[in-house]
Amino acid sequence: MLKKELVCIVCPNGCQVEALIEETPALKVLEVSGCTCDKGIAWVEQEIVNPMRTIASSIVVEQGDFELVSVRTDTAIPLGKIFEVMDIIQHKRVKAPVTIGDRLIENPAGVPCHIIATRNVGVQP
Amino acid sequence: MQVIKRDLVIIGGGPAGLAAAISARKNGLKDILLIERDKILGGILNQCIHDGFGLHTFREALTGPEYAQRYIDEFHKLGIEVMLETIVLSLDNNRQISVSSKEGFVKIQAGAVILSMGCRERTAGAISLPGTRPSGVYTAGAAQNFINLQNKQIGNRVVILGSGDIGLIMARRMTLEGATVAAVFELLPTPSGLARNVQQCLNDYDIPLFLSTSVFELHGTDRLTGVTVASVDETFQMIESTKRFVPCDTLLLSVGLIPENELSLGAGVNLEATTSGATVDDTYMTSVPGIFSCGNVLHVHDLVDHVSEEAALVGQSAVRYVTQKTVRDSASIPIEAKQDVRYVLPQTVSGKTDFTVSLRVTRPMANGVVMIKDKGRKVAGKKIVRLHPAEMIRVKVKAKNIETAEKLEVSVQC
Amino acid sequence: MENQYDVIIIGAGVVGNAIARELSKYSIRVAVIEKELDVSMGTSSRNSGVLHSGIHYKPGTLRARLDVLGNSLMADLCNDLKVKMNYLGKLTVAQDEEEVKSLYILKEQGQANGVPDLAILDTDAMRKIQPNVGGIKALHSPSTGIICPYSLTIALAENAYANGCHFYLGHRVTALSKQGDGFDVTASGKRFQSRVLINSAGLYSADICAMLGINDYKIYPCRGEYLILDKRLDGSLKVLVYPAPHKGKAGLGIHLTNTVSGNILIGPSNEYQDDPEDYACTARIMALLRKEGHELLPDLKTADFIRSFSGLRAKQTSPGKGGFEDFVIESREDVTGFVNLVGIESPGLTSSPAIALMVKDMVAKLLTLKRKETFEGTRSGMAGYFHQLPDEQKADLVSQNPDYGEVVCRCEQITKKEVLDAISNPLGVQTINGIKYRSRAMMGRCQGGFCLPRIVQILEKEFGYNPEDFLLKSKDSQLFLGKMRQDVV
Repeated sequence: MLKKELVCIVCPNGCQVEALIEETPALKVLEVSGCTCDKGIAWVEQEIVNPMRTIASSIVVEQGDFELVSVRTDTAIPLGKIFEVMDIIQHKRVKAPVTIGDRLIENPAGVPCHIIATRNVGVQP
Repeated sequence: MQVIKRDLVIIGGGPAGLAAAISARKNGLKDILLIERDKILGGILNQCIHDGFGLHTFREALTGPEYAQRYIDEFHKLGIEVMLETIVLSLDNNRQISVSSKEGFVKIQAGAVILSMGCRERTAGAISLPGTRPSGVYTAGAAQNFINLQNKQIGNRVVILGSGDIGLIMARRMTLEGATVAAVFELLPTPSGLARNVQQCLNDYDIPLFLSTSVFELHGTDRLTGVTVASVDETFQMIESTKRFVPCDTLLLSVGLIPENELSLGAGVNLEATTSGATVDDTYMTSVPGIFSCGNVLHVHDLVDHVSEEAALVGQSAVRYVTQKTVRDSASIPIEAKQDVRYVLPQTVSGKTDFTVSLRVTRPMANGVVMIKDKGRKVAGKKIVRLHPAEMIRVKVKAKNIETAEKLEVSVQC
Repeated sequence: MENQYDVIIIGAGVVGNAIARELSKYSIRVAVIEKELDVSMGTSSRNSGVLHSGIHYKPGTLRARLDVLGNSLMADLCNDLKVKMNYLGKLTVAQDEEEVKSLYILKEQGQANGVPDLAILDTDAMRKIQPNVGGIKALHSPSTGIICPYSLTIALAENAYANGCHFYLGHRVTALSKQGDGFDVTASGKRFQSRVLINSAGLYSADICAMLGINDYKIYPCRGEYLILDKRLDGSLKVLVYPAPHKGKAGLGIHLTNTVSGNILIGPSNEYQDDPEDYACTARIMALLRKEGHELLPDLKTADFIRSFSGLRAKQTSPGKGGFEDFVIESREDVTGFVNLVGIESPGLTSSPAIALMVKDMVAKLLTLKRKETFEGTRSGMAGYFHQLPDEQKADLVSQNPDYGEVVCRCEQITKKEVLDAISNPLGVQTINGIKYRSRAMMGRCQGGFCLPRIVQILEKEFGYNPEDFLLKSKDSQLFLGKMRQDVV
């Protein structure tokens, strides 16, 4: 049994959390204390087993009234996959126009998420 | 020169100005004008492409541009008038505004004015950072603009001074883009930014955060070549024996934000020393009748959600001022920051309506109670597990509890 | 030959450029060679910006004569060049009877130097000029003024350029030799020839001498640090206020100085050092200046400090000796054609127009100088900035050119038109600091936090800059390493 201290990142409250963990036979969260909401408890359980993050970046737009369109993953992805996904984002090019919510990349690096636009980019006048 | 009239003029089209305009319209006011100096609405949110906005307002983790767009869409749907690429040159205490744009000079007589100009970043000059003046030294917000809006690679090896939220966000952003962030240095013994940002922006990427440590010299005559850092004692004096050189080509400064109140000063608005923002009553009216203030120009907020909420209240107050020609209630009750409280807002209240006190504490504390008292009698209180200077605290006060109050004092009891 | 000149001037500071402009009145070929990418990069932009009246200098010295003459020439010169200056006057204040005596000595010395309208004032009279000033008596010197030193230096250079003078910026002189009747000059690999060579290299003037085998001089760089205060405090000082000289107190002491732009300066300090290029500011001096500032201006707030800078005086007196030596301005007999200026420290800025006249007379003995009929001594444009104009005039200008309606630098209210003018400067200077010194954008309280991104956008979209083209001030001071995302995969 192992005690682990974490800062919950679900919301800006940033609760300081303690989790009791069993490592064998399989990684398992036995008890969570310090969370002030249910979402936090679920996050801690996930964080111990497989930490997940939403990432935000930007993609080059061709013929846009703006050089870049800001993007994010539409759902949290495994922390360990971030740089693989970033690599795909960095090399992607899209054509204007782009609308908020447009799905610009599907399942980058095989990760079950989509990269969506977070701003509108019009066509270069 | 052309002089036009508007019932309400809002200066600044960032989150505060947008929310104030929308709220004013929804409260029945028709003749509203919003003035924005940029080409687009949304203010600084446009460059804050990370997520985490709107958790309170929309129960979703939106990015800055997405959060802004929701307000921009609503603003346009309501058909509110806006002047873009227009700068306010001056505002006087009779609410006359001079503006300039490509179309020319215009004077506007406003029935009421809402100040929502936001804030600016403290600079290397403002903190008297010693050493040379090479290129490669940026405020975190300027760096964010260059990277997120202008597609510029600003550096390879980065040091960040100050652990404000923008600095932490930029540490992650630059790491994701392939730069090496050598370290974040913070003069204070605690991080200035939110705990979740320390976790997801630094810890996730093994970026070290050195507390009670600061940059003491910049090196390099052309481009930055490195910085001298050292630890400080309790009085923030450098500990000579801890001095060390950290090579880097880029230094980002995240050392604080200052409300942009130059226009407010021109109108004779009284400012408060701690917040560098206006002193306001519970309608968020400043010392000059008919001039209101909200958002980061009033006090630097932790979350945009709080800005929007505050601005909506101010929009409503401004409408009441315009339509009912309300004058300030004569019996104003002062509110003062006491034990462990850095500042409180508003600074005076009428005592006739319920209101919310916003405050920040001076130091991190655990299991505290924010107490609001009138001559030792408790009128409101809030239990809080963790109190941190980075976080704004809000406490509701009922008017019926302060009917006889002369002065309210806000303190923290642990 | 293309690189053949009648006169080559080394150093594009205020003195070199004043000489260049003076000589551009005559039918000769003149070039200025400067190691930095812009003019006014050394001492000329890094000083208090004060036009000294001339009370402090020993009668009969070059400093006394050239300062008083330079001061009197400045009004017309600035009027022609559209440079903002202001003879706002100075009070030298005595705190006790001992110091009062020194005021009378200064007054006598000033009168001997020809300084106009000096008067000793009693407490009431001096407080009419500057309310709340402490002290019992003061010497009032109405001809003391303030000027923007880099605006003057840039204006002199641009006017010289407009009148045919060539500028080689970013050219460091590496070798000099006397060849027959003239000089061979090598600068950054390029060769030049001239009949007359003028050394106005400031901190490097002794090095230039040494290249010609003249080892008579040594320059001791002496650093002065300053803090710049927010414009909020503009108006706190009606005139310059200096303490009276006091036995045992060296130099002019740390004091407050108004600037034509409304920012008050605190400084300068006085520290000898070895490196003629080290413009660092130090923690120790800055702390001292801040403390001093709070004592002199009780209303001063922490947020009022917006920037610091330092400059280096080209002193001929060693650290052990201190004090001042007179300017060296000589036409060398041992190296015919070499006009040599060494140790032009304070009051070099004030003296510059007078130094230019003196050097012109020296050149006239070496070359035939014939007046050029085409010389145009006035610069177009306005002294000061758009936002300082009356509303009606502003409205007029905006209707003529919409770029005047767009404010790029919000702190200093600098318009896009002014920024565009600075970018398209006649000398072709392309650094960010070049734009800053010419337009005043980025000089306000946000220090470019908001307007630098905007200016970068203008340079990229309207002038075709690539990310690598953005230089802060020197060849190796890139702002950006490249694009974050390349256009083509």
